[in-house]
Amino acid sequence: MRVEPTRALLYRLTTLPHRVIRYMVGHGKALLLSLAMLGGVLAGGGFLVVWLGLVPISASSGHWPVTRWFLHFAMRNAVETQAMGIKAPALDDPALVLKGAGHYATGCAPCHGAPGERQSLIVQQMTPKPPFLPPRIHEWTHEQLFWIVKHGVKFTAMPAWVSLQREDEIWAMVAFLRELPTLSPENYERLAYGERADTGIAKETTPDHLRALSDPLGPTLANCDRCHGSDGLGRGTGAFPKLAGQSETYLRASLRAYADGERNSGIMEPIAAGIDEATMQALAEHYASQYAIADQPADTQRPNIDGPVATDFDPAAITRGRAIAQRGIPEQGVPSCTDCHGPRREPHNPYYPKLAGQYTDYLVLQLSLFKSGKRGGTAYAHIMHSAAKGLSEEQIHDVALYYASLKQESRYPSIRLKRGEEPISSSIEISSIYRDRLIR
Amino acid sequence: MDATKCPPGMRVLVSLTALSSLSGCSGPQSALQPAGVDAEQIGQLFWWMCAVAVLIWLLVIGFAVYATHINPETHDSRAARWLIIGGGAIAPPVVLGALLVFGLPLLPSLSAPAEDGLQVTVSGERWWWRVQYPTPSGGTVELANEVRLPVGERVGFSLTSPDVIHSFWIPSLGGKVDMIPGRTTRLTLEPTDVGVYRGACAEYCGTAHALMNFQVVVMEPEAFTVWLEQQAAPAQTPQSSLARRGQEAFLANGCSACHTIRGTPADGVLGPDLTHVGSRLSLGAGILPNDAEAFARWIRHTDQIKPGVNMPAFAMLPEGQLTALAAYLSGLK
Repeated sequence: MRVEPTRALLYRLTTLPHRVIRYMVGHGKALLLSLAMLGGVLAGGGFLVVWLGLVPISASSGHWPVTRWFLHFAMRNAVETQAMGIKAPALDDPALVLKGAGHYATGCAPCHGAPGERQSLIVQQMTPKPPFLPPRIHEWTHEQLFWIVKHGVKFTAMPAWVSLQREDEIWAMVAFLRELPTLSPENYERLAYGERADTGIAKETTPDHLRALSDPLGPTLANCDRCHGSDGLGRGTGAFPKLAGQSETYLRASLRAYADGERNSGIMEPIAAGIDEATMQALAEHYASQYAIADQPADTQRPNIDGPVATDFDPAAITRGRAIAQRGIPEQGVPSCTDCHGPRREPHNPYYPKLAGQYTDYLVLQLSLFKSGKRGGTAYAHIMHSAAKGLSEEQIHDVALYYASLKQESRYPSIRLKRGEEPISSSIEISSIYRDRLIR
Repeated sequence: MDATKCPPGMRVLVSLTALSSLSGCSGPQSALQPAGVDAEQIGQLFWWMCAVAVLIWLLVIGFAVYATHINPETHDSRAARWLIIGGGAIAPPVVLGALLVFGLPLLPSLSAPAEDGLQVTVSGERWWWRVQYPTPSGGTVELANEVRLPVGERVGFSLTSPDVIHSFWIPSLGGKVDMIPGRTTRLTLEPTDVGVYRGACAEYCGTAHALMNFQVVVMEPEAFTVWLEQQAAPAQTPQSSLARRGQEAFLANGCSACHTIRGTPADGVLGPDLTHVGSRLSLGAGILPNDAEAFARWIRHTDQIKPGVNMPAFAMLPEGQLTALAAYLSGLK
């Protein structure tokens, strides 16, 4: 009969686990012993290989395909799982892209390359070799990119972000990475190198009075200028603060604070840490001297030559912001801003930055960082923690708009804000002006 | 313990301890040494309660001793039942009722508004006192951490708080009244003795609650009027060059964002008014002496002297500026 063998086979199969267990119970001790011996031999052999120095650690030999597959498998799954709790904010602000680009050029491009820039030959000898990023970005979501940029990856050369609490900077990096695959070499240059890119080569940006000080300042200053502009006006977007006309004391102390890790930034800390004291002093003098908004009241300040400063002109918000700046909000424990940051007649402590004409976005970011306690700085920075603590998000925006509007009033003298005034119809759209520059 | 068996040294020690604990009953912050009409009433109430309590205690102990030692036999259950019902159920309501009848009428008089008398507004803020006096010209003048009162005059207090519940208490002058956010509570005081007393916050209000005190100065009416006029005047201009540098430092470092010094551009309202800070008896809400050294210490280590305080510590100021600031502020008489 043909049924019988089939049935016998089925019977054997279905009882297999049962029989295996019965065997193991019957020979339990012997089995355990042999397993332990096997494990011992493997571990001992493995240790011997390591001890004798036979592990193939050379980068020149690369990974076995199976090792490569396994490491990637582990990394991809780890990133996917560990990025699950992250939620990306809106990343379509061109200023974020610009900020990310500025850091990418010095912090990332040497290993990962950029449009029009090959990876260094030396970097290509690493194992694992850092990927040339532009064609690889699409493999990751925003959140996964954020996780990788923030935490780095073990067993590769990918470092963690220098300042883990500055997640805003990491998101700026992600915003730029999202644009990276579509950037032409020219547009990448324009984003990362600013005005220098327009001339094709690194433009001579060191003013004459600095040249005599030291030649090494040339490249240093050129690096500063990429983001802060050779005019010190921060490239007109709010991604980077205006440095022109700040006090020398404040600029030098801020660089020092970055270098000492007192002021947190994954972008500025590494830059400042590489600058010596004399260069810091020369840089501070340079930006401080760019033009003197220093001791003048804001309404006589030189107009902003780099385009409009505020992203919007909401007269009601500016009026509210002015009230906060001048009187504070006593019931919320917020002191006035003008007593330290101007504009006012009395001279003020040079460690306090001047805020008139500074960018809205930059001011909003700094106040938010102060409010959340993530912003350090000079020895005076802690004053701002108790000052900003009581401000709401809307109030932060209002007061930032007020300060950003200060210089504009001299450029657009018709704008005189009074309580209850109608909004200005011909409001200036920074985004449209800016977007022309950011051609993909 | 039989006193005859007690060693003489022990007896001296016990009496000394008892005496020294009594010394806590006097001083500038004692409800048992009243210097005001209201404190006097409260003190009387306290002594009456004390006397009655001692009487009741003696009775109860007396009965216990009688029943266990003097006459330990079985007692008549009828008499015992009357004693228990009378002493345990009837007497307490009668005694407490009598206390209530005596005590309740005291309350309105303690908070009675002083008709057309002096009205002082005090706001308890973490952790200091904002004090406002009406000026003869019809305005108000803001002071801080010190209350001065004319002797023999009934003074009304309006009490309030912008943050948490505090309690305003000058034990030598009267009872305590809570300062509750969003409300105004009232208190009336009538000091009877000239002198310096101490007030305190009597409701736990956070980390530095114990460091929230103030001085109370009861003055002759003429001296009080002179004092109020002087306090209402703008600050005197600094005389020495050190004090002038102090004023510059005060404005340059943004102290004016929180503090007012009338007669200068400083018009902040978050912290105490400093127009005549040098004339006060103490610093930091009754916790430091008022001299240049204490000023410098306070400005440098605010956060250590009064943990949790809103004012940032200015330890980073150059030594020269600190000295100048201290000289300027302590000179604001």
